[in-house]
Amino acid sequence: MQNYIIKRIWSALVVIFVVSFITYFVLMLIPGDAAQLILGTDASPDKLAELRNAMGLDRPWIVQYLEWLGGLLRLDFGKSYLYSTSVLGLIIDRLPVTASVAVLSILIAMVVSILLGTVSAIKRNTAIDYFSRSVMQIGSAIPTFWIGMLFIIFFGLKLKWFPISDYSPLSDGLFVHLRSLAMPCTVLAIGETGMMLRSIRTSMIDTLDQDYMDMARVKGLKNKTIYFKYAIRSAMIAPINVIGMQFAKLMGGTVVVESVFSLPGLGRLLLIAVEQRDVVLLQGIVMFITAVVVFTSLVVDLIVMLLNPKIRIRTRGE
Amino acid sequence: MKKSMNKSRKKWNVSLAIGTVLILAVVIVCIVSFIYMPHDPIEMNTTLNFLRPGANESYILGTDNFGRDILSRIMMGSRTVLLVGVVSTAFGAVIGIILGGFAAMSKNIVSSIIMRFVDGMMAFPGILLAMMLVLVVGRGEKGSIVAIAMFIVPTFARLVYSMVLDTESMLFVKAAKSYGITKRRLFKKHYIPLMATRLITQFSSSIAHAIMVETSLSFLGLGIQAPNASWGLMLNESRKYFLTYPYLAVAPGIAIVFTVLGFNLFGDGLNELLENGKGGKR
Amino acid sequence: MLKKVLAVLMSATFVLGVAGCGSSKTSDEKTTETENTGDSTKDTLTIAYTTDPEGFDPQRTAAISTLEVTSNIYDTLITCDADWNIIPDLAKDWTISDDGKEITFNLNEGVLFHNGREMTADDVKYSFERLQDAESPKAKMYANIIGIDVIDPYTIKFTTEKLDVDLLDSFAYPWTAIVPEEAADNLKTEPVGTGAYKFVQWTPQESITLVRNDDYFGEKANIENVQYKLIPDMTSQLAALMVGDVDITEVTADQIDVLNNTDGVKGFSKPQNSIQILALNQENEYLSNEKVRQAIAMAIDKDEIINTVVWGNGTKIGSHLPVSSPYYVDTTDVMPYNVEKAKALLAEAGYPDGITLSLKLPKTYQTHVDTGTIIADQLSKIGVKCNIEIIEWATWMSDVYTDHKYDMTVVAHSGRLDPYNFLSRYKSTSGDYISLLSGDVDDLLDEAVQEQDEAKRKEIYAEIQKILAEEVPCVYIQSLSKFYGLNDKVENFEIYPIDMLNLKAVSFS
Repeated sequence: MQNYIIKRIWSALVVIFVVSFITYFVLMLIPGDAAQLILGTDASPDKLAELRNAMGLDRPWIVQYLEWLGGLLRLDFGKSYLYSTSVLGLIIDRLPVTASVAVLSILIAMVVSILLGTVSAIKRNTAIDYFSRSVMQIGSAIPTFWIGMLFIIFFGLKLKWFPISDYSPLSDGLFVHLRSLAMPCTVLAIGETGMMLRSIRTSMIDTLDQDYMDMARVKGLKNKTIYFKYAIRSAMIAPINVIGMQFAKLMGGTVVVESVFSLPGLGRLLLIAVEQRDVVLLQGIVMFITAVVVFTSLVVDLIVMLLNPKIRIRTRGE
Repeated sequence: MKKSMNKSRKKWNVSLAIGTVLILAVVIVCIVSFIYMPHDPIEMNTTLNFLRPGANESYILGTDNFGRDILSRIMMGSRTVLLVGVVSTAFGAVIGIILGGFAAMSKNIVSSIIMRFVDGMMAFPGILLAMMLVLVVGRGEKGSIVAIAMFIVPTFARLVYSMVLDTESMLFVKAAKSYGITKRRLFKKHYIPLMATRLITQFSSSIAHAIMVETSLSFLGLGIQAPNASWGLMLNESRKYFLTYPYLAVAPGIAIVFTVLGFNLFGDGLNELLENGKGGKR
Repeated sequence: MLKKVLAVLMSATFVLGVAGCGSSKTSDEKTTETENTGDSTKDTLTIAYTTDPEGFDPQRTAAISTLEVTSNIYDTLITCDADWNIIPDLAKDWTISDDGKEITFNLNEGVLFHNGREMTADDVKYSFERLQDAESPKAKMYANIIGIDVIDPYTIKFTTEKLDVDLLDSFAYPWTAIVPEEAADNLKTEPVGTGAYKFVQWTPQESITLVRNDDYFGEKANIENVQYKLIPDMTSQLAALMVGDVDITEVTADQIDVLNNTDGVKGFSKPQNSIQILALNQENEYLSNEKVRQAIAMAIDKDEIINTVVWGNGTKIGSHLPVSSPYYVDTTDVMPYNVEKAKALLAEAGYPDGITLSLKLPKTYQTHVDTGTIIADQLSKIGVKCNIEIIEWATWMSDVYTDHKYDMTVVAHSGRLDPYNFLSRYKSTSGDYISLLSGDVDDLLDEAVQEQDEAKRKEIYAEIQKILAEEVPCVYIQSLSKFYGLNDKVENFEIYPIDMLNLKAVSFS
């Protein structure tokens, strides 16, 4: 097992390295120029050349890449062109927002999925099962911003239950914080639940089918005990993978929701960087998000491994 | 006693049925769009703009802010959706399958490198990768297809890789190998048929995913450009009129939901079919 | 197991919390400002915006949205009121020499920068030199100033090389803000000026906070705090206005009526000192042919554009000056809308089968995108096929404006008090993204800027406008209006002919 953990961590590091390479390379290909962005409208060709030289933009890109990589290792992501401040600083400022949104959405989705998934698995192929499955299927097919806008108009404007454009950080108080995130997180959760539900339901069905479940029934244990104490525990193992994946996906995928609900998160920062061609910022954010994703999946893998006795014994080949 | 054995007979199930119906509906609309559309989808009739659905019998679903017929635009949009959705997924799938298969069968350092690369690509959340690629390749149809194809690749690569490895350990393959079968023949004759159904399922789900990403790209202004009619673009254009003319968002939204749903259900149904066919859990 | 329990507990708390909050209809928002309960002691003006400014350095930016904010943090020597009249600001009066090449300003005394130091003529000199240096986007505009002399701490003299009758106007623009040398390096993120509002904080993509300068040399601002809120989505902006989260936001023309009919809010619509044009790149092989350009001009139905894009809230124009300019003459009938004639012209030019051109539209300006879409449709009717590309502003600036890599584009020009500034790019030597390569207005422009007699000057500009209308280096579409949604309680909100937003005059009723 020791071996496996080490292997896994090493693998994650390699992936991060590959990611950094891909990121830098792809973004190097972008037409358009940072120097131009800084100088703006009336920039003359020689001024541009001067600035490019000063910024080191005219060196061979492998050199620039290595320099950037070196910076990353020192946790220096460079300085944003647009905002003239440290990229890492900008990211850290926004991280709590995106993280809150991601965590909260996953939680909501988890609760709903576990409840519905369990019920569906137990009452397989009945009306409830089909109903919940179809509702969730539809939910995951709906374009996020569509639902978002509907929410804003209905819950925000008409009912005035939730703030439309105010984001309140945790420091303002838990309830207020949650209230400002309620709409965007619910919207995201609707999309998430589809996948999670499927996974939990399948896993639950599998678990319930196991022999030891029948044993439990024969022993005369109450249904509730069976389901909650035994079934869920083992049923959750496989879905944890899915949940981890979803969380990771969310870290990068909140752009749309953040745009619609005016949340100052990483997604929007990314969009601005893309639109304004702030390459340094872009590289920093992409690197950061993917690193988080890789890290998360590493953690998830390890957790799954810890929880699942089977894998602990089996050695994995690559 | 395993309960699941009881339903192993079904060849058809609800998901598959509904999914197929929806997909066929979109395909039919698309085909019809080449033959007949109530109006020219990009023709503007600014005096007749903002017609509500049902207000004018010539424009069943109403008109948008430029007086363009929504129904015709939806029909035209079906072409884009299928084009971008299917083509990009196809590209991505083919590249992914080749990469994954090659890596699985090579088992040398090259294989490791390829799979690391795939892992790297997989680490990028879809939208992120798509956004970056669009920046490089440019927006519009071509850009979207390339961008989306790129993030479909790792899914298929991984899938094929693990399936090939799994299959390899099966007895009959070992037997075939002992007869001296060539790698190519092995792949073609044995692996692919086994993987075919799983691949088709994944293909279907990936198309659904691709369509969702295209919608997001168009929403962010990075996808299909005006005046072409893509559903994602139509949704984006309806944003500014959401408060005053909300009906503009209804048609394209429903179209997207149905299509994505269709592909998802199809994939699901197929999956279920597989599970049942094999008489138990995998 | 513990994990599971914890997860369930947390989610349960969340669900209950949300439900609890939802059912108690709290009407007042949390934290610092904004009361939307009709309380007359409202002390914060909340303004919605969609894109972050480029920092707050007035001499390092050309973005209108940035200047609108900086015009409240800094002051200029002079400014103008809503009716185009020049009024004193940091300078209390001024004299212009007879030959028009020298202008002397007398500054107000006791004006303090936000860091406590008094502003003097040295600061003015410093600021203008900064304006002229290589990193300043507007340096070209001030190249004519060859001498800046500090006569005494409150008197400063500017000398120009050539006679420019509009010299005075150039001191009113927001980029001529007076800045303190000691703070100059960080103005982008920590602006220090003399203005009616002091900078408090800029949280990128979230908000900008200003607070009233109680040591302001002039009439102090009415409202104590100003908060800019970033709301990227237009519908969310409108929704925020309607629930009282913001007091001012930009809207589109169709929403004016809705706003006027809704309680608590009102619409504001006024013609702006701005024109919308379809710029044509004369370096393109087709567009270099005057007949082709004229054909395009005649194929465009400006009325349709105005009705569809801005619901009729615009005025057709024929040349490069807005209707509100004192020098404006009506040239709309020089190239009237006539599809048949347009087709004929195109054939005469040698392209009876039509041509294809690219049309680049700036994504951030929906009005231009919509206009461009309609133009593409109109042009298709005479055989000109347009390939539309919707690009970001940054891309537009680099590709279209700087590199001239475009065929056609739709954009607006605004914020200039004198016609020369609007028109100088038409000199065939200007190297600007649009100009009149035939050179027919070169001499006239030189004459105009030196002509001190106003009546004669008007004649010259009239002549220039006619030539532009005939040779159509661009198709001039309309004079634009600006549309805002305001909270009912907002008073004295105005728009100005230059890129500024005068927040100190705004008050709550």
